[in-house]
Amino acid sequence: MTTDRPSHRSPREPVAPAAPRKPTPGSGRESGPTPGPTPGPASGPGLGVFDKDLLDRCISCGFCLPACPTYTLTGQEPSSPRGRITLMRALESGDLAPDDPTLAEESSFCLGCRACEPVCPAGVRYGALLEQWRDHQWRGRDRPLIARLLMALVSRPALLRLQGLVRRHARPGRRPGAGARAGTGAPQATRRDAPEAASSRPAEPVSLMLGCVERGLYPAVSRAVRTLRPEVDVPPGQGCCGALHAHNGDSAAGAELAHALGERLPGTIVTTAGGCAAHLAHHLGRGRVRELSEYLELTGHRPAGRVTVDGRPARVALQDSCHLRNGLGVTRPPREAIAAVAEYVELPNAGDCCGAAGTYSMLRPADSRAVLAPKLAAIEAADVDYVVAVNPGCLRQLRQGLRRGGSRVRALHLAELLALAAAGEAGGSGGAGKDRGEPEAPAD
Amino acid sequence: MTVGTDPPGSLADDLAGLVGREHVRVDDGALTAYARDATPLYTARPHAVVLPGSTDEVAAVLRYATDRGVPVVPRGAGSNLCAATVPLSGGIVMALTRLNRVLEVSPAELLARVQTGVTTAALSDAAARQGLLYAPDPGSRTVSTVGGNVATCAGGLRGLKYGVTRNHVLGLEAVLPTGEVVRTGGRLWKDVAGYDLTRLLTGSEGTLAVITEVTVGLLPAPEETGTGVAYFDSLADASRAVAAVIASGVLPATLEFLDRKCVVAVEEFAGLGLRRDAGALLLFGDDGPTGAVAGTLARIGEVCADAGSPEVTLAEDVARSEALLAARRCSLPALSRLAPLTILEDATVPRHRLAEMVDRIDDIAARHDLMIATFGHAGDGNLHPTCVLDPDDGAAVERSHKAFAEIFAAAIELDGTITGEHGVGAAKLPYLADRIGNDQVALLRRIKRAFDPAGILNPGKLGS
Ligand SMILES: Cc1cc2nc3c(=O)[nH]c(=O)nc-3n(C[C@H](O)[C@H](O)[C@H](O)COP(=O)(O)OP(=O)(O)OC[C@H]3O[C@@H](n4cnc5c(N)ncnc54)[C@H](O)[C@@H]3O)c2cc1C
Ligand code: SF4
Ligand code: SF4
Repeated sequence: MTTDRPSHRSPREPVAPAAPRKPTPGSGRESGPTPGPTPGPASGPGLGVFDKDLLDRCISCGFCLPACPTYTLTGQEPSSPRGRITLMRALESGDLAPDDPTLAEESSFCLGCRACEPVCPAGVRYGALLEQWRDHQWRGRDRPLIARLLMALVSRPALLRLQGLVRRHARPGRRPGAGARAGTGAPQATRRDAPEAASSRPAEPVSLMLGCVERGLYPAVSRAVRTLRPEVDVPPGQGCCGALHAHNGDSAAGAELAHALGERLPGTIVTTAGGCAAHLAHHLGRGRVRELSEYLELTGHRPAGRVTVDGRPARVALQDSCHLRNGLGVTRPPREAIAAVAEYVELPNAGDCCGAAGTYSMLRPADSRAVLAPKLAAIEAADVDYVVAVNPGCLRQLRQGLRRGGSRVRALHLAELLALAAAGEAGGSGGAGKDRGEPEAPAD
Repeated sequence: MTVGTDPPGSLADDLAGLVGREHVRVDDGALTAYARDATPLYTARPHAVVLPGSTDEVAAVLRYATDRGVPVVPRGAGSNLCAATVPLSGGIVMALTRLNRVLEVSPAELLARVQTGVTTAALSDAAARQGLLYAPDPGSRTVSTVGGNVATCAGGLRGLKYGVTRNHVLGLEAVLPTGEVVRTGGRLWKDVAGYDLTRLLTGSEGTLAVITEVTVGLLPAPEETGTGVAYFDSLADASRAVAAVIASGVLPATLEFLDRKCVVAVEEFAGLGLRRDAGALLLFGDDGPTGAVAGTLARIGEVCADAGSPEVTLAEDVARSEALLAARRCSLPALSRLAPLTILEDATVPRHRLAEMVDRIDDIAARHDLMIATFGHAGDGNLHPTCVLDPDDGAAVERSHKAFAEIFAAAIELDGTITGEHGVGAAKLPYLADRIGNDQVALLRRIKRAFDPAGILNPGKLGS
């Protein structure tokens, strides 16, 4: 046995590299990259940007590569989850300068969709690493201007309230049955629905969270929730959940806002935004936070009515919300809810990111559209009438994309679809056949 | 998407002239990301990364590199575990991920032709869509490229019945370092004209030529597949059961084992309901005509029970079979949940000596006070002893090197080899002569010179 040979590998100086046979042509760059080994996995005291045990988990097996939309776009290692973790390690160990342009580029090119997480057998929590990375990378003036503006906007409850006034929203604090009138265009609760809701009124309070984006753009969504589940309260004075901050380099504010909102909203928090759900669940505990479809299932709500188009059941596809799917593992309930009121059609890439990714579609519109393109193609190929989103950002992205492409397909939020179905039955109007417009339009 | 578009130095400019600027990376970040593969503890940065988009571009870069004496390291998905794509001498990493088109699948000829950067899973899927089977099935199939599989001669979970990649390659298009494009083999199952350069390039680990296109043989997809699990008290018991299964005259497609640590780690990820308290698990599977599979599985189950398995279960449906195989494929990364540093090795012994080898590994681990989990393609005698440890514990890391040296020596002593499927790379080059002898090492070098007179292709690996 040959145990006395020099060990075949050692952590610091893996293999003495042979010098290049000839000097590399023209790399007359003093500080140019030199060949030869660089230190192995970060060890010892690092910069302190990352949690060491989070960073240590990745073994560079590459199982996450095929799941990553940015790697799919470029085929280049730095824009893969594994490559980005290698970059993070180099940042932590000082092998890359903190102001390295590739570090900046990749921390922003990443969608934060976390598609790399569920496929990682080693259990790497990439989303947490990305938040730590952006905390470091996007400080102060380095944070993109749009992100700064948005963060400032949503951190002010007064401004958020203003949005709620401008766009008629589910009225905070009151139930539709208690004198409040839901928006004119929003379908009313159906007869079949009402008694069931009343009887299953939970002992614990249930609060609907009004997402920042949603309250501005899609008030019809929360109105729809209220018609579906009148027992859900809409407490006034809601702030932002902080997901926006956490994803844009301010984890501390993200955590603070989540906890503050947790105190303001009593009981179970129902959200209609996958991104908010994952962020809140992370900070308040999984038990307190329910995304709408999950909540409906949990409370035994059976969606009522049918959505029809030209007398036949509507063909409806789902776009998963990345954070709901990859962060919370919720995939079945929204599908079953759709299947209960329409013909459910599974898109081959339903689980792939749509490119909205929070502020991403504003910060990197070209990349965002490139990520969306195959999804739009799949939607067209599937010959559906509607595509349903469970997150307002995705809804906006899909609507814009479909509109740009002149598509006949309409994008709806799940709550809107279910309300549409219920209204169709209640009103006996034959569903969505004639009016395939976006249901909130008349109300605004 | 390129960062730092105006790098200093003419290497970047020259390469940009050959493949287009957006397909050349010389920024520190990219060089860092391409400094490693799936092998722990090895990193070395290249001077540039190029991503050619055609065979002609591959040839142009290689010609240029030969002229200037710049090392070139071909790279697929970088999922190898022997530091085969670490650019030890710097130079150019040539990533082949852009060459990712399935060119044809021919049911009439039972073959497929793909560009080199197509993933193994994409090739399998393309074949399956036509009712055909691409048999090689490495654990890394969703990630690894067909070119990488050919260059390492990858094995996999179906190796027992179908062999390794080599048994399925009909022809190659490859570019020599001098820029000449050669087409070896072709579209025929029978073709014995000349030296078998297809086989020579298969397993050449990027040291002889850059493979740009691969023609593989396909099989009619089996009508049925099935999988079962037998638990054992120990890995040694499971190994004896493997010998009994083979001796009983059945040749299943899959016969994999995992020790207790692997079972627990895999269960942690996949949540399949495997028994965490079992000492070891034998995963067996077969495919074939309708009705035949159930019989084979039942027979294997009986043999396992006779060999002492307290519990044998068969997967009820195809989905569950797939889940079991998928879980097995991720044993390595799942194991890494146990400790931050995971070193996996690859040794093979003749099947009838498997139990002996397992005992030796246990003994070596105990003597060096290390946690070594073992899993592998038991039916092929191919073991993956995997050491999990703390990278900050320098003494333990040192002990792990000694332990692996002893494990390789033990494999050779039992008429086995230092690698059954992962290849030699940089990590096992020091052990190569132990296995094949100095004369053959010298012959390898002469072959290498014939293909690569300037010695630019993947220096520090085979033939160096
Ligand atoms: C979790 C896990 C499971 C694995 N399971 C298995 C398994 O079951 N069986 C198995 O055999 N391996 C397995 N591997 C190892 C690895 O996936 C294989 O060696 C695979 O074939 C490498 O493919 P790649 O595309 O990643 O190649 P790379 O890692 O990029 O390259 C590997 C070698 O091939 C050369 N090369 C790559 N492409 C070309 C080309 N086009 N032309 C010339 N040379 C080229 C490179 O220079 C290098 O020497 C596993 C790895 C992991 C991480
Ligand atoms: S993140 Fe997970 S899947 Fe990706 S390389 Fe690291 S360990 Fe493998
Ligand atoms: S979060 Fe999404 S885009 Fe970012 S590395 Fe993971 S899979 Fe890729």
